[in-house]
Amino acid sequence: MSEIRALNEKVVPTTLSTVLTLAGVTLTRLGRGKALWIGGLFAALPVAYAIGVHARHVAPSPDDLFKISLLLLALLPAMYVGASIGEEIEDRTSTYLWSRPIARWAVLAGKLCALTPLVIALVVGGWYAGIRIWTDAAPTAMSCAALAAGCVAASLIAAGIATVVPKHGMALTIGYMLVDLFIGALPFSLNQLSITNQANVLANLGGSPSGLVTPVIAMVVMSGLWAAVGFERIRRLEA
Amino acid sequence: MNIVVADNCSKWYGHVLGVSDVSWKLAGGIVGLLGPNGAGKSTLIKMMGGLLQPSRGSLTVYGQSPFHDVRVRRRIGYAPEHESTWDELSALELVTAMARLAGVPAGKADKAAKEALDQMGMASSMYRRVRGFSKGMRQRTKLATAIAHDPDFLLLDEPLTGVDPIARVDIVERIKRLGEAGKTIVVSSHVLYEIEALTSDIVVIYRGQVLAEGNVYEIRKLIDRHPHRIRVECDQPRVIAAALAPEDHVARLSFERGGLVLETRDPDRCYDQIAKAVIAGNVAVTALSSPDNNLGAVFEYLTGEGGRR
Repeated sequence: MSEIRALNEKVVPTTLSTVLTLAGVTLTRLGRGKALWIGGLFAALPVAYAIGVHARHVAPSPDDLFKISLLLLALLPAMYVGASIGEEIEDRTSTYLWSRPIARWAVLAGKLCALTPLVIALVVGGWYAGIRIWTDAAPTAMSCAALAAGCVAASLIAAGIATVVPKHGMALTIGYMLVDLFIGALPFSLNQLSITNQANVLANLGGSPSGLVTPVIAMVVMSGLWAAVGFERIRRLEA
Repeated sequence: MNIVVADNCSKWYGHVLGVSDVSWKLAGGIVGLLGPNGAGKSTLIKMMGGLLQPSRGSLTVYGQSPFHDVRVRRRIGYAPEHESTWDELSALELVTAMARLAGVPAGKADKAAKEALDQMGMASSMYRRVRGFSKGMRQRTKLATAIAHDPDFLLLDEPLTGVDPIARVDIVERIKRLGEAGKTIVVSSHVLYEIEALTSDIVVIYRGQVLAEGNVYEIRKLIDRHPHRIRVECDQPRVIAAALAPEDHVARLSFERGGLVLETRDPDRCYDQIAKAVIAGNVAVTALSSPDNNLGAVFEYLTGEGGRR
Protein backbone atom coordinates (compact mmCIF):
# COMPACT_ATOMS: atom_id res chain seq x y z
CA MET A 1 0.00 0.00 0.00
CA SER A 2 2.74 2.42 0.95
CA GLU A 3 4.43 1.73 -2.37
CA ILE A 4 1.25 2.56 -4.30
CA ARG A 5 0.81 5.75 -2.32
CA ALA A 6 4.40 6.75 -2.99
CA LEU A 7 3.94 6.23 -6.70
CA ASN A 8 0.88 8.43 -6.71
CA GLU A 9 2.64 11.24 -4.91
CA LYS A 10 4.86 11.89 -7.91
CA VAL A 11 2.75 13.34 -10.68
CA VAL A 12 3.53 12.38 -14.26
CA PRO A 13 3.24 15.11 -16.91
CA THR A 14 0.11 15.31 -19.02
CA THR A 15 0.43 14.50 -22.69
CA LEU A 16 -0.50 18.06 -23.61
CA SER A 17 2.19 19.47 -21.33
CA THR A 18 4.73 17.03 -22.78
CA VAL A 19 3.87 17.91 -26.37
CA LEU A 20 3.97 21.64 -25.64
CA THR A 21 7.28 21.40 -23.77
CA LEU A 22 8.88 19.42 -26.57
CA ALA A 23 7.46 21.72 -29.21
CA GLY A 24 8.87 24.72 -27.34
CA VAL A 25 12.29 23.14 -27.03
CA THR A 26 12.26 22.18 -30.71
CA LEU A 27 11.45 25.72 -31.82
CA THR A 28 13.99 27.28 -29.45
CA ARG A 29 16.72 25.00 -30.76
CA LEU A 30 15.69 25.66 -34.34
CA GLY A 31 15.71 29.40 -33.80
CA ARG A 32 19.27 29.26 -32.52
CA GLY A 33 20.59 27.17 -35.38
CA LYS A 34 21.15 27.79 -39.07
CA ALA A 35 18.44 25.53 -40.44
CA LEU A 36 15.70 28.10 -39.97
CA TRP A 37 17.50 30.65 -42.14
CA ILE A 38 18.46 28.14 -44.79
CA GLY A 39 14.85 27.00 -44.96
CA GLY A 40 13.78 30.60 -45.20
CA LEU A 41 16.02 31.06 -48.23
CA PHE A 42 14.48 28.01 -49.90
CA ALA A 43 11.02 29.34 -49.12
CA ALA A 44 11.94 32.57 -50.87
CA LEU A 45 12.52 30.69 -54.15
CA PRO A 46 8.96 31.25 -55.47
CA VAL A 47 9.26 34.91 -54.53
CA ALA A 48 12.59 35.26 -56.36
CA TYR A 49 11.16 33.47 -59.38
CA ALA A 50 8.09 35.71 -59.36
CA ILE A 51 10.21 38.84 -59.13
CA GLY A 52 12.35 37.67 -62.08
CA VAL A 53 9.37 36.81 -64.24
CA HIS A 54 7.52 39.98 -63.27
CA ALA A 55 10.52 42.08 -64.25
CA ARG A 56 10.57 40.43 -67.69
CA HIS A 57 6.83 41.06 -68.15
CA VAL A 58 6.12 37.45 -68.98
CA ALA A 59 2.45 36.44 -69.01
CA PRO A 60 1.54 35.07 -65.56
CA SER A 61 1.21 31.32 -65.17
CA PRO A 62 0.47 30.45 -61.55
CA ASP A 63 0.89 26.79 -62.43
CA ASP A 64 4.65 27.24 -62.89
CA LEU A 65 4.97 28.98 -59.59
CA PHE A 66 2.93 26.29 -57.90
CA LYS A 67 5.34 23.65 -59.18
CA ILE A 68 8.18 25.47 -57.45
CA SER A 69 6.16 25.47 -54.26
CA LEU A 70 5.61 21.74 -54.66
CA LEU A 71 9.35 21.34 -54.98
CA LEU A 72 9.63 22.92 -51.55
CA LEU A 73 7.57 20.03 -50.21
CA ALA A 74 10.49 17.81 -51.09
CA LEU A 75 12.93 20.01 -49.19
CA LEU A 76 11.46 21.74 -46.17
CA PRO A 77 9.72 18.84 -44.35
CA ALA A 78 12.91 16.83 -44.83
CA MET A 79 15.07 19.69 -43.57
CA TYR A 80 13.04 20.35 -40.49
CA VAL A 81 11.03 17.28 -39.52
CA GLY A 82 13.27 14.57 -40.96
CA ALA A 83 16.48 16.11 -39.70
CA SER A 84 15.14 17.01 -36.26
CA ILE A 85 13.71 13.57 -35.51
CA GLY A 86 16.60 11.72 -37.12
CA GLU A 87 19.25 13.68 -35.21
CA GLU A 88 17.41 13.31 -31.94
CA ILE A 89 17.46 9.55 -32.26
CA GLU A 90 20.86 9.24 -33.90
CA ASP A 91 22.88 11.42 -31.53
CA ARG A 92 21.14 9.80 -28.56
CA THR A 93 19.70 12.95 -27.03
CA SER A 94 16.49 10.96 -27.12
CA THR A 95 17.85 8.80 -24.28
CA TYR A 96 17.05 11.70 -21.96
CA LEU A 97 13.48 11.55 -23.17
CA TRP A 98 13.00 7.80 -22.90
CA SER A 99 13.94 7.95 -19.23
CA ARG A 100 11.21 10.53 -18.54
CA PRO A 101 7.69 9.52 -17.52
CA ILE A 102 6.18 10.42 -20.86
CA ALA A 103 4.42 8.57 -23.65
CA ARG A 104 6.89 7.99 -26.43
CA TRP A 105 4.53 8.98 -29.18
CA ALA A 106 4.33 12.40 -27.54
CA VAL A 107 7.96 12.99 -28.56
CA LEU A 108 7.03 12.61 -32.21
CA ALA A 109 3.86 14.62 -31.70
CA GLY A 110 5.83 17.44 -30.06
CA LYS A 111 8.20 17.66 -33.00
CA LEU A 112 5.39 17.59 -35.52
CA CYS A 113 3.40 20.22 -33.63
CA ALA A 114 6.37 22.56 -33.68
CA LEU A 115 7.71 21.96 -37.16
CA THR A 116 4.69 21.28 -39.35
CA PRO A 117 3.19 24.76 -38.83
CA LEU A 118 6.60 26.22 -39.60
CA VAL A 119 6.81 24.25 -42.85
CA ILE A 120 3.28 25.35 -43.74
CA ALA A 121 4.10 28.98 -42.98
CA LEU A 122 7.21 28.92 -45.16
CA VAL A 123 5.72 27.04 -48.12
CA VAL A 124 2.35 28.77 -48.15
CA GLY A 125 3.95 32.11 -47.31
CA GLY A 126 6.35 31.77 -50.24
CA TRP A 127 3.50 30.81 -52.56
CA TYR A 128 1.32 33.67 -51.34
CA ALA A 129 4.05 36.28 -51.67
CA GLY A 130 5.15 34.93 -55.05
CA ILE A 131 1.69 34.97 -56.57
CA ARG A 132 1.02 38.46 -55.23
CA ILE A 133 4.15 39.75 -56.93
CA TRP A 134 3.47 37.85 -60.13
CA THR A 135 -0.22 38.52 -60.65
CA ASP A 136 -0.97 41.37 -58.27
CA ALA A 137 -3.75 39.17 -56.88
CA ALA A 138 -4.03 36.88 -53.91
CA PRO A 139 -3.83 33.14 -54.57
CA THR A 140 -6.98 31.09 -54.18
CA ALA A 141 -7.75 29.79 -50.74
CA MET A 142 -7.90 26.30 -52.22
CA SER A 143 -4.36 26.52 -53.55
CA CYS A 144 -3.12 27.59 -50.10
CA ALA A 145 -5.10 24.81 -48.43
CA ALA A 146 -3.73 22.28 -50.92
CA LEU A 147 -0.16 23.33 -50.17
CA ALA A 148 -0.84 23.23 -46.44
CA ALA A 149 -2.27 19.72 -46.77
CA GLY A 150 0.78 18.73 -48.78
CA CYS A 151 3.01 20.12 -46.01
CA VAL A 152 1.20 18.09 -43.37
CA ALA A 153 1.40 14.92 -45.46
CA ALA A 154 5.09 15.44 -46.30
CA SER A 155 5.91 16.15 -42.64
CA LEU A 156 4.25 12.92 -41.55
CA ILE A 157 6.16 11.04 -44.24
CA ALA A 158 9.40 12.66 -43.08
CA ALA A 159 8.64 11.68 -39.47
CA GLY A 160 8.03 8.07 -40.48
CA ILE A 161 11.18 7.82 -42.57
CA ALA A 162 13.34 9.49 -39.90
CA THR A 163 12.25 7.10 -37.18
CA VAL A 164 13.02 4.10 -39.37
CA VAL A 165 16.34 5.38 -40.72
CA PRO A 166 17.37 8.17 -38.34
CA LYS A 167 20.89 8.44 -39.65
CA HIS A 168 19.71 9.42 -43.11
CA GLY A 169 16.31 10.82 -42.24
CA MET A 170 16.69 14.05 -44.16
CA ALA A 171 18.39 12.61 -47.25
CA LEU A 172 15.94 9.74 -47.60
CA THR A 173 12.95 12.02 -47.17
CA ILE A 174 14.25 14.31 -49.91
CA GLY A 175 14.81 11.24 -52.10
CA TYR A 176 11.33 9.93 -51.36
CA MET A 177 9.71 13.26 -52.12
CA LEU A 178 11.64 13.68 -55.38
CA VAL A 179 10.39 10.26 -56.44
CA ASP A 180 6.93 11.41 -55.36
CA LEU A 181 7.26 14.44 -57.64
CA PHE A 182 8.38 12.20 -60.50
CA ILE A 183 5.51 9.77 -59.99
CA GLY A 184 3.12 12.69 -59.76
CA ALA A 185 4.18 13.85 -63.20
CA LEU A 186 3.49 10.47 -64.82
CA PRO A 187 0.54 10.49 -67.20
CA PHE A 188 -1.14 7.38 -65.81
CA SER A 189 -2.88 6.27 -62.65
CA LEU A 190 0.28 5.55 -60.68
CA ASN A 191 0.37 9.28 -60.06
CA GLN A 192 -2.52 8.80 -57.64
CA LEU A 193 0.09 7.62 -55.13
CA SER A 194 1.86 10.96 -55.25
CA ILE A 195 0.97 13.47 -52.56
CA THR A 196 2.43 16.32 -54.60
CA ASN A 197 0.17 15.35 -57.47
CA GLN A 198 -2.79 15.21 -55.10
CA ALA A 199 -1.89 18.66 -53.78
CA ASN A 200 -1.80 19.87 -57.35
CA VAL A 201 -5.19 18.35 -58.07
CA LEU A 202 -6.60 19.81 -54.86
CA ALA A 203 -5.30 23.27 -55.71
CA ASN A 204 -7.30 23.12 -58.96
CA LEU A 205 -5.29 25.86 -60.61
CA GLY A 206 -6.49 24.90 -64.07
CA GLY A 207 -10.01 25.79 -63.09
CA SER A 208 -11.46 22.50 -64.27
CA PRO A 209 -13.77 20.94 -61.69
CA SER A 210 -12.12 18.23 -59.62
CA GLY A 211 -13.33 16.44 -56.56
CA LEU A 212 -11.99 17.02 -53.10
CA VAL A 213 -12.52 13.53 -51.83
CA THR A 214 -9.99 11.57 -53.86
CA PRO A 215 -6.99 13.82 -53.26
CA VAL A 216 -7.76 14.14 -49.57
CA ILE A 217 -8.20 10.40 -49.10
CA ALA A 218 -5.03 9.67 -51.05
CA MET A 219 -3.01 12.11 -48.96
CA VAL A 220 -4.46 10.84 -45.69
CA VAL A 221 -3.73 7.22 -46.63
CA MET A 222 -0.18 7.84 -47.85
CA SER A 223 0.86 10.05 -44.97
CA GLY A 224 -1.15 8.03 -42.45
CA LEU A 225 0.77 4.91 -43.34
CA TRP A 226 4.08 6.63 -42.75
CA ALA A 227 2.83 8.23 -39.55
CA ALA A 228 1.71 4.83 -38.29
CA VAL A 229 5.16 3.45 -39.08
CA GLY A 230 6.76 6.35 -37.20
CA PHE A 231 4.60 6.08 -34.10
CA GLU A 232 4.96 2.32 -33.94
CA ARG A 233 8.70 2.54 -34.43
CA ILE A 234 9.13 5.15 -31.72
CA ARG A 235 7.04 3.07 -29.33
CA ARG A 236 9.45 0.17 -29.71
CA LEU A 237 12.64 2.14 -30.02
CA GLU A 238 15.30 1.34 -27.46
CA ALA A 239 18.20 3.57 -26.51
CA MET B 1 11.76 -3.70 0.24
CA ASN B 2 13.99 -4.11 -2.79
CA ILE B 3 14.05 -1.19 -5.18
CA VAL B 4 15.43 -3.15 -8.10
CA VAL B 5 14.84 -6.82 -8.72
CA ALA B 6 16.44 -8.44 -11.75
CA ASP B 7 15.36 -12.01 -12.29
CA ASN B 8 17.32 -14.03 -14.83
CA CYS B 9 17.46 -10.87 -16.85
CA SER B 10 19.18 -10.94 -20.23
CA LYS B 11 19.49 -8.39 -22.96
CA TRP B 12 21.00 -8.85 -26.36
CA TYR B 13 21.31 -6.67 -29.40
CA GLY B 14 21.07 -8.97 -32.38
CA HIS B 15 23.88 -11.43 -31.78
CA VAL B 16 25.66 -9.20 -29.26
CA LEU B 17 25.02 -10.00 -25.64
CA GLY B 18 24.60 -6.97 -23.39
CA VAL B 19 23.55 -8.57 -20.12
CA SER B 20 23.38 -12.29 -19.51
CA ASP B 21 21.08 -13.99 -17.04
CA VAL B 22 21.48 -11.44 -14.27
CA SER B 23 19.66 -12.06 -11.00
CA TRP B 24 20.25 -9.20 -8.63
CA LYS B 25 18.48 -7.18 -5.97
CA LEU B 26 19.11 -3.65 -4.84
CA ALA B 27 17.81 -2.53 -1.47
CA GLY B 28 19.14 1.02 -1.31
CA GLY B 29 22.14 3.23 -0.62
CA ILE B 30 24.90 4.09 -3.06
CA VAL B 31 25.97 1.14 -5.14
CA GLY B 32 28.87 1.14 -7.54
CA LEU B 33 28.50 -0.81 -10.75
CA LEU B 34 31.96 -1.78 -11.73
CA GLY B 35 33.26 -3.30 -14.91
CA PRO B 36 35.36 -2.65 -17.97
CA ASN B 37 33.99 -0.96 -21.08
CA GLY B 38 31.49 -3.22 -22.80
CA ALA B 39 30.84 -5.25 -19.64
CA GLY B 40 27.12 -4.49 -19.66
CA LYS B 41 26.96 -1.71 -17.08
CA SER B 42 25.21 0.77 -19.33
CA THR B 43 22.80 -1.89 -20.56
CA LEU B 44 21.84 -2.75 -16.99
CA ILE B 45 21.45 0.91 -16.10
CA LYS B 46 19.33 1.56 -19.19
CA MET B 47 17.09 -1.34 -18.29
CA MET B 48 16.69 0.08 -14.78
CA GLY B 49 15.92 3.47 -16.31
CA GLY B 50 13.27 2.10 -18.65
CA LEU B 51 15.23 2.84 -21.81
CA LEU B 52 15.57 -0.82 -22.68
CA GLN B 53 13.42 -3.81 -21.93
CA PRO B 54 14.90 -7.21 -21.14
CA SER B 55 15.08 -9.70 -23.98
CA ARG B 56 14.48 -12.47 -21.44
CA GLY B 57 13.69 -12.58 -17.75
CA SER B 58 12.44 -9.56 -15.88
CA LEU B 59 13.65 -6.41 -14.25
CA THR B 60 11.45 -4.36 -11.99
CA VAL B 61 11.96 -1.05 -10.21
CA TYR B 62 9.66 -0.40 -7.26
CA GLY B 63 7.84 -3.55 -8.31
CA GLN B 64 7.00 -2.35 -11.83
CA SER B 65 8.56 -2.55 -15.26
CA PRO B 66 10.29 0.78 -15.86
CA PHE B 67 10.01 0.34 -19.63
CA HIS B 68 6.23 0.15 -19.53
CA ASP B 69 5.23 2.04 -16.39
CA VAL B 70 5.61 5.81 -16.65
CA ARG B 71 4.84 6.31 -12.93
CA VAL B 72 7.94 4.36 -12.01
CA ARG B 73 10.06 6.45 -14.35
CA ARG B 74 8.80 9.53 -12.50
CA ARG B 75 10.79 8.27 -9.51
CA ILE B 76 13.96 7.71 -11.50
CA GLY B 77 16.65 10.23 -12.36
CA TYR B 78 18.98 9.19 -15.16
CA ALA B 79 22.24 10.77 -16.27
CA PRO B 80 23.45 9.04 -19.44
CA GLU B 81 27.01 8.24 -20.26
CA HIS B 82 27.14 10.15 -23.53
CA GLU B 83 27.48 13.90 -23.76
CA SER B 84 24.93 14.59 -26.48
CA THR B 85 22.27 16.93 -25.29
CA TRP B 86 20.31 19.94 -26.45
CA ASP B 87 23.39 22.10 -26.82
CA GLU B 88 21.51 25.11 -28.19
CA LEU B 89 19.78 25.59 -24.85
CA SER B 90 21.21 27.20 -21.75
CA ALA B 91 21.81 24.93 -18.78
CA LEU B 92 18.77 26.42 -17.07
CA GLU B 93 16.55 25.94 -20.12
CA LEU B 94 17.72 22.36 -20.51
CA VAL B 95 17.19 21.40 -16.88
CA THR B 96 13.85 23.22 -16.75
CA ALA B 97 12.62 21.37 -19.84
CA MET B 98 13.75 18.05 -18.41
CA ALA B 99 12.04 18.83 -15.12
CA ARG B 100 8.83 19.67 -16.99
CA LEU B 101 9.09 16.41 -18.90
CA ALA B 102 9.51 14.59 -15.60
CA GLY B 103 6.26 16.00 -14.28
CA VAL B 104 7.31 19.12 -12.39
CA PRO B 105 4.52 21.69 -12.88
CA ALA B 106 5.30 24.64 -15.15
CA GLY B 107 5.27 27.13 -12.29
CA LYS B 108 7.79 25.15 -10.27
CA ALA B 109 10.10 23.76 -12.94
CA ASP B 110 12.25 26.87 -13.20
CA LYS B 111 12.81 26.98 -9.44
CA ALA B 112 13.50 23.24 -9.32
CA ALA B 113 16.02 23.58 -12.16
CA LYS B 114 17.81 26.47 -10.47
CA GLU B 115 18.04 24.51 -7.23
CA ALA B 116 19.36 21.44 -9.02
CA LEU B 117 21.97 23.44 -10.90
CA ASP B 118 22.96 25.21 -7.71
CA GLN B 119 23.25 21.85 -5.98
CA MET B 120 25.64 20.74 -8.71
CA GLY B 121 27.76 23.89 -8.46
CA MET B 122 26.44 25.40 -11.70
CA ALA B 123 24.72 28.47 -10.30
CA SER B 124 27.09 30.90 -11.98
CA SER B 125 26.87 29.22 -15.40
CA MET B 126 23.20 28.35 -15.62
CA TYR B 127 22.41 31.03 -18.21
CA ARG B 128 25.19 29.95 -20.55
CA ARG B 129 24.52 27.66 -23.46
CA VAL B 130 25.53 24.04 -23.00
CA ARG B 131 27.42 24.11 -26.31
CA GLY B 132 30.28 26.04 -24.72
CA PHE B 133 30.58 23.90 -21.61
CA SER B 134 33.65 21.94 -20.55
CA LYS B 135 33.33 18.23 -19.89
CA GLY B 136 33.02 18.80 -16.15
CA MET B 137 30.28 21.37 -16.61
CA ARG B 138 28.41 19.03 -18.92
CA GLN B 139 28.61 16.27 -16.35
CA ARG B 140 27.28 18.61 -13.67
CA THR B 141 24.47 19.72 -15.96
CA LYS B 142 23.58 16.11 -16.70
CA LEU B 143 23.47 15.41 -12.98
CA ALA B 144 21.23 18.44 -12.50
CA THR B 145 18.80 17.10 -15.15
CA ALA B 146 18.78 13.82 -13.24
CA ILE B 147 17.92 15.35 -9.86
CA ALA B 148 15.72 18.36 -10.75
CA HIS B 149 12.47 16.44 -10.37
CA ASP B 150 13.53 15.08 -6.97
CA PRO B 151 13.66 11.40 -7.90
CA ASP B 152 14.08 8.68 -5.30
CA PHE B 153 16.36 6.55 -7.44
CA LEU B 154 19.31 7.89 -9.38
CA LEU B 155 21.09 6.14 -12.21
CA LEU B 156 24.41 7.78 -13.01
CA ASP B 157 26.22 6.22 -15.93
CA GLU B 158 29.92 7.03 -15.78
CA PRO B 159 29.36 10.45 -14.19
CA LEU B 160 33.05 11.11 -13.65
CA THR B 161 34.38 10.20 -17.07
CA GLY B 162 36.64 12.85 -18.50
CA VAL B 163 36.30 15.14 -15.51
CA ASP B 164 39.41 16.84 -14.18
CA PRO B 165 40.63 15.74 -10.72
CA ILE B 166 39.38 18.81 -8.86
CA ALA B 167 35.93 18.60 -10.40
CA ARG B 168 35.94 14.86 -9.75
CA VAL B 169 36.41 15.35 -6.02
CA ASP B 170 33.65 17.94 -6.01
CA ILE B 171 31.20 15.78 -7.97
CA VAL B 172 31.95 12.78 -5.76
CA GLU B 173 31.11 14.86 -2.70
CA ARG B 174 27.87 16.05 -4.25
CA ILE B 175 26.83 12.51 -5.17
CA LYS B 176 27.64 11.38 -1.64
CA ARG B 177 25.45 14.15 -0.28
CA LEU B 178 22.58 12.92 -2.43
CA GLY B 179 23.09 9.47 -0.95
CA GLU B 180 23.11 10.90 2.56
CA ALA B 181 19.84 12.66 1.71
CA GLY B 182 18.25 9.25 1.26
CA LYS B 183 18.47 8.76 -2.49
CA THR B 184 19.22 5.32 -3.81
CA ILE B 185 22.03 5.72 -6.31
CA VAL B 186 23.59 3.39 -8.81
CA VAL B 187 26.85 4.75 -10.20
CA SER B 188 28.70 2.97 -12.93
CA SER B 189 32.35 3.28 -13.73
CA HIS B 190 35.18 1.37 -15.26
CA VAL B 191 37.65 3.36 -13.20
CA LEU B 192 38.02 1.62 -9.91
CA TYR B 193 39.16 4.40 -7.67
CA GLU B 194 36.17 6.50 -8.76
CA ILE B 195 33.83 3.92 -7.30
CA GLU B 196 36.05 3.45 -4.30
CA ALA B 197 35.72 7.16 -3.52
CA LEU B 198 31.94 6.91 -3.60
CA THR B 199 31.01 3.68 -1.91
CA SER B 200 32.21 0.37 -0.60
CA ASP B 201 29.09 -1.40 -1.90
CA ILE B 202 29.92 -2.67 -5.32
CA VAL B 203 28.57 -4.92 -8.00
CA VAL B 204 31.19 -6.28 -10.31
CA ILE B 205 29.88 -6.90 -13.81
CA TYR B 206 31.87 -8.50 -16.56
CA ARG B 207 30.86 -9.86 -19.93
CA GLY B 208 27.24 -9.17 -19.10
CA GLN B 209 27.22 -11.12 -15.87
CA VAL B 210 27.26 -10.08 -12.25
CA LEU B 211 30.51 -11.53 -11.06
CA ALA B 212 30.29 -10.46 -7.44
CA GLU B 213 28.35 -8.07 -5.27
CA GLY B 214 28.44 -6.75 -1.75
CA ASN B 215 30.79 -4.84 0.44
CA VAL B 216 34.31 -4.62 -0.88
CA TYR B 217 35.52 -6.54 2.16
CA GLU B 218 33.05 -9.34 1.51
CA ILE B 219 34.27 -9.47 -2.03
CA ARG B 220 37.77 -9.69 -0.69
CA LYS B 221 36.79 -13.05 0.84
CA LEU B 222 35.99 -14.26 -2.63
CA ILE B 223 39.39 -13.39 -3.91
CA ASP B 224 41.09 -15.29 -1.11
CA ARG B 225 40.56 -18.29 -3.31
CA HIS B 226 42.67 -16.59 -5.91
CA PRO B 227 46.39 -15.92 -5.57
CA HIS B 228 47.02 -12.91 -3.38
CA ARG B 229 49.67 -10.48 -4.54
CA ILE B 230 52.32 -9.02 -2.29
CA ARG B 231 54.78 -6.45 -3.50
CA VAL B 232 58.09 -6.16 -1.68
CA GLU B 233 60.29 -3.17 -2.46
CA CYS B 234 63.77 -3.87 -1.21
CA ASP B 235 67.47 -3.79 -2.07
CA GLN B 236 67.90 -7.59 -2.40
CA PRO B 237 64.78 -9.06 -4.02
CA ARG B 238 66.65 -12.20 -5.08
CA VAL B 239 67.33 -13.12 -1.47
CA ILE B 240 63.64 -13.08 -0.64
CA ALA B 241 62.82 -14.86 -3.90
CA ALA B 242 65.30 -17.61 -3.09
CA ALA B 243 63.76 -18.08 0.34
CA LEU B 244 60.17 -18.27 -0.88
CA ALA B 245 60.43 -19.89 -4.28
CA PRO B 246 60.38 -23.47 -2.91
CA GLU B 247 57.20 -22.85 -0.92
CA ASP B 248 54.13 -24.60 -2.35
CA HIS B 249 51.80 -21.69 -1.54
CA VAL B 250 53.74 -19.36 -3.85
CA ALA B 251 52.02 -19.46 -7.22
CA ARG B 252 54.13 -16.93 -9.04
CA LEU B 253 57.12 -14.76 -8.45
CA SER B 254 58.25 -11.89 -10.62
CA PHE B 255 60.85 -9.18 -10.36
CA GLU B 256 60.12 -5.52 -10.78
CA ARG B 257 62.40 -2.53 -10.61
CA GLY B 258 63.42 -2.20 -6.95
CA GLY B 259 61.62 -5.28 -5.72
CA LEU B 260 59.53 -8.32 -6.45
CA VAL B 261 55.89 -9.37 -6.57
CA LEU B 262 54.72 -12.63 -5.08
CA GLU B 263 51.46 -14.38 -5.68
CA THR B 264 50.45 -16.63 -2.83
CA ARG B 265 47.51 -18.78 -1.85
CA ASP B 266 48.32 -18.36 1.83
CA PRO B 267 48.91 -14.68 2.55
CA ASP B 268 49.45 -15.05 6.32
CA ARG B 269 52.10 -17.72 5.91
CA CYS B 270 53.73 -15.76 3.13
CA TYR B 271 53.99 -12.57 5.22
CA ASP B 272 55.66 -14.60 8.01
CA GLN B 273 58.16 -16.14 5.66
CA ILE B 274 58.96 -12.78 4.04
CA ALA B 275 59.70 -11.36 7.51
CA LYS B 276 62.00 -14.30 8.28
CA ALA B 277 63.80 -13.96 4.95
CA VAL B 278 64.28 -10.24 5.48
CA ILE B 279 65.86 -10.81 8.92
CA ALA B 280 67.95 -13.75 7.80
CA GLY B 281 69.25 -12.06 4.69
CA ASN B 282 69.61 -8.61 6.25
CA VAL B 283 67.45 -7.15 3.49
CA ALA B 284 66.55 -3.46 3.56
CA VAL B 285 62.80 -3.26 2.83
CA THR B 286 61.49 0.12 1.74
CA ALA B 287 57.86 -0.89 1.20
CA LEU B 288 55.65 -3.90 1.63
CA SER B 289 52.24 -3.67 0.05
CA SER B 290 49.43 -5.78 -1.20
CA PRO B 291 47.94 -4.50 -4.41
CA ASP B 292 44.88 -6.54 -3.49
CA ASN B 293 43.91 -4.03 -0.83
CA ASN B 294 43.00 -1.69 -3.64
CA LEU B 295 39.61 -2.15 -5.24
CA GLY B 296 41.33 -2.20 -8.58
CA ALA B 297 43.03 -5.44 -7.73
CA VAL B 298 39.74 -6.92 -6.53
CA PHE B 299 38.23 -6.11 -9.89
CA GLU B 300 41.23 -7.46 -11.74
CA TYR B 301 41.12 -10.70 -9.85
CA LEU B 302 37.40 -11.15 -10.18
CA THR B 303 37.50 -10.47 -13.88
CA GLY B 304 40.45 -12.77 -14.30
CA GLU B 305 42.76 -10.02 -15.52
CA GLY B 306 44.93 -10.07 -12.43
CA GLY B 307 45.56 -13.76 -12.65
CA ARG B 308 47.01 -13.42 -16.10
CA ARG B 309 49.50 -10.76 -15.18
